[in-house]
Amino acid sequence: MSNKLQVRRSLLLLGFLGAAFAGLGYRLVDLQVLRHEELSTKAGQNTQREYWQAPRRGDILDANGNILATSISVKTVCADPSLIGNCQPVVAHAIAPFLSMSEAELIAKMTPRVGRNAKGDTVTNGLHYVRLGRNVPEDAWQHIVAAMTNLSFGVDEKHLPPTERSFYRSLRLQAVFAEPDQLRTYPGGRLAAQVVGFPSMEETNISGRLVSHIVGRDGVEFMMQSQLAGVAGWRVTETDRQQRELVALRDEDVNARDGMNVVLTLDAAVQNIVEDELAKAMVAHKPKSVTGIVMRPRTGEILAMVSLPNYDPNLPNTITPETRNRVVTDVVEPGSTFKIVVVSGALNSGRTKLTDQFDCEHGHFAFAGRTLHDHEAYGMLSVKDIIMKSSNIGAAKIGILLGEQGLYDYAWNFGFGQRSGITLPGEARGILYPISKWYKVSLAQIPMGHGVMVTRLQMLSAMAAIANGGWLMQPMIIKRLQERDGSVVQNYRPARVRQVISEAASKQMIEALKTVVTKEGTAYGAALEHYVVAGKTGTAQKAENGVYVRGKYVSSFIGFFPADQPELCISVVMDEPLEGYYGGKVCGPVFRGIAERCASYLNIPADPTLTTNVPLANAALSLRNPRTRIP
Amino acid sequence: MAKNRKNLSAGVRFGPVLKVVLLGGLFCVAGVGYVWQKSEIARLSQQIREREKRLVQLKDDNKRLADQISILHSPPRLDLRAKELNLGLSPALPLQVVRLVEPTGQWSRLPALPRSGSRP
Repeated sequence: MSNKLQVRRSLLLLGFLGAAFAGLGYRLVDLQVLRHEELSTKAGQNTQREYWQAPRRGDILDANGNILATSISVKTVCADPSLIGNCQPVVAHAIAPFLSMSEAELIAKMTPRVGRNAKGDTVTNGLHYVRLGRNVPEDAWQHIVAAMTNLSFGVDEKHLPPTERSFYRSLRLQAVFAEPDQLRTYPGGRLAAQVVGFPSMEETNISGRLVSHIVGRDGVEFMMQSQLAGVAGWRVTETDRQQRELVALRDEDVNARDGMNVVLTLDAAVQNIVEDELAKAMVAHKPKSVTGIVMRPRTGEILAMVSLPNYDPNLPNTITPETRNRVVTDVVEPGSTFKIVVVSGALNSGRTKLTDQFDCEHGHFAFAGRTLHDHEAYGMLSVKDIIMKSSNIGAAKIGILLGEQGLYDYAWNFGFGQRSGITLPGEARGILYPISKWYKVSLAQIPMGHGVMVTRLQMLSAMAAIANGGWLMQPMIIKRLQERDGSVVQNYRPARVRQVISEAASKQMIEALKTVVTKEGTAYGAALEHYVVAGKTGTAQKAENGVYVRGKYVSSFIGFFPADQPELCISVVMDEPLEGYYGGKVCGPVFRGIAERCASYLNIPADPTLTTNVPLANAALSLRNPRTRIP
Repeated sequence: MAKNRKNLSAGVRFGPVLKVVLLGGLFCVAGVGYVWQKSEIARLSQQIREREKRLVQLKDDNKRLADQISILHSPPRLDLRAKELNLGLSPALPLQVVRLVEPTGQWSRLPALPRSGSRP
């Protein structure tokens, strides 16, 4: 009997234990198999952390390695309001001086507030994460750390319960923290501002955290965004209870790849010279705007590009539509500078020679129902004289001789009506209407620079083509891309676009352009003491609502030197100068100022025979006294 | 046939004791080694973190100082300083520049080096 009872009890116990083990086994399968994914994710969230590594944005350098734009490491100071409790005033008092903010502002930021948005949803200003200040320098952040570590709350913490002691400890160590950030700075301030451009900050949500990065908005910053930006890195790792990284448990660790440095063809010294001279011209002639460009005609490299007024990219409030880069964005009627296109075309096609004579009709020439005028009454003028005196009627007659198709083809081949392809944003094509849209008078108007719209860069490129034996070069602003250590990634080589005119025609054209910078020409003020200058003036009346307006002009001078072995081609254009308006009078001296200083800086050898556009008497005087200036 | 244990001498048998001690020691060493290894990992991990931070900081400092040098050397700044200090400096005029012609074809006339001369 007792034996049976024992067996029954044993079976009962066995059954009970079996059921218990079965339950535990099921639980084990449930946890390890059925809910494995969910629970392993939860466990990972407790310890795993993913860190985003922002790449350093590349620098923008001039041709000699001078920094035009760079990024410096700064901190974004953040706070966790849930760890601050009611101690906002104490914290604000400690850190406000280093954030350049008022204590009241900081208290407001650190106080959690609950409200409702437009949709009626409950929203907070950030219970665990608020940004207190951006672009905080490293030094200021170290001061903040010290201030937070030494915070005093006026209580004897040794006698507080452990929970309160823990609260104060985490407040000191974790309530205020910093995130790495970058600040784009421009050490030169306004120097080459429109070429370099300016940035803005954009934020991306990565794993629930807003990550800011710099995005170029203008100039090279915009055009070379992908090369400058670099590639972000990341690290997947685990942390301990104190949120310290466990380096041994690092899983993925991919370093950020810094952005490449962009080296420009600009020379900071030349750029400075041009900005300096144009600033003086702004004061002297009070134009609405003035632009200056310096180019190497043989390569198309741009050494300086200035458009005043300009802005300081360090101060975003100085950026306005008025400070755009007018060199590439604005189109104007070129005026007499466009005569180089028609005359060089006629010389190249053999329709005329420099010595051919044209009747300039004593200042009045009726054509296609319109009367064209010269600023002086000229009779018979040779082609050379037409350039020297800038005769509209002479140029119109050469244009008529060249014919519509010839004129259009040469204008197109010189690069008008199309973008040059320079690496700058907002480049305009200009306007060169197809022949089918021309009026009858267009054939006479276009040769004198009316009825066609060009950018300053197109006009300079055309002049540089004449200086370069007829070869039109693509304007270059980017010289190379390089890594931070200086190793070259990509070199940008000068590119020939096409030969527009023959070398012989370009030499004849240069001979004609040399006469412009003489006493008989229109730009004597542009003559240099030690170099022969070739150039052309332009004074274009501005049109408003389809009507030419009296007293509003675009004045220009584009020239190059030494004329027979051109090193630099320089353009100066003023929009609506108030003191004087003839291109030769207002822009010629500015050209001379730029050319003299650039020649000295770039060590351009003086003409060995000392042939200049300056008359012999003056040249001899300058030989005796090198500091003598031509009036 | 196995010996009867009761007939063996009553002396201490070192073999098993030694085995136990060795085994115990082995476990102890393994345990201590494991803990030491973990603590070393934690210590080195801390060092790596600190040095990584330091490296980043040094790179930042290096970049900042290199930038400062570059900015101080930049022509616009030098020009501005020269003007501020009123040093009376002005660019050399082309006629003030003396150009030396490269002495082409002169090298052949230089005396030959003595054969016994030491070489670097």
